[in-house]
Amino acid sequence: MNTRPNLPDEIWPGRKDYSWRSDVKVNGWLIAATLISAFGDVIYHNAVSQWSVAGRTALVIAQFAALALWARSLVCWIRGMDELHRRVTGGAVLFAVGATFFFIMLWHRLDVAGLFRAIFPGRGSWDIATVTHAFLLITFFYFLSSSLLNRRYQ
Amino acid sequence: MKNKLRELRAAKEWSQSDLADKLGVSRQTINAIETEKYDPSLPLAFKVARLFHLPIEDIFEP
Repeated sequence: MNTRPNLPDEIWPGRKDYSWRSDVKVNGWLIAATLISAFGDVIYHNAVSQWSVAGRTALVIAQFAALALWARSLVCWIRGMDELHRRVTGGAVLFAVGATFFFIMLWHRLDVAGLFRAIFPGRGSWDIATVTHAFLLITFFYFLSSSLLNRRYQ
Repeated sequence: MKNKLRELRAAKEWSQSDLADKLGVSRQTINAIETEKYDPSLPLAFKVARLFHLPIEDIFEP
């Protein structure tokens, strides 16, 4: 008897094999990074902007350190899968990260070009280059690509 | 790639989950191989061959 391989459904809420323990084990650091970003970049953005440079730098480094740790736990989890799921999940993660990067870059360039201010003149910043936005986009693109790739092998 | 995995598994009266446990893969992988939607890697094909005590070419054909 071999060790049971990791399954993508373990971190897919609502699926039969979903396990919140596995989800936290894999995505715990991503959730931590998102929470730090949500409080620092979105909810308490004005208060944080009054902090010293050292304080704000520490906040940014904390987010990206958490992201690096998330990448490590994600790689470990994928390595524990069998060959089929490793291929599907690896492809889905690569697509999600690439699509998120592309989307944020495109959004940023459109913002710099002044498109959003031209359409909605009253609003200030349209910046989405935060971990919170990246989390939402990565999650969306991961579930989208994972669904499409899994359908091939159903 | 065509294969005789379903017939061999049925002859042993194993479920897909039983075979998956013996090979250390998921049930979905066994299903994908049996329905010929996925071609296993060479190490996995060797594992299958060893489990059924058959040469690889008797189980998988190009």
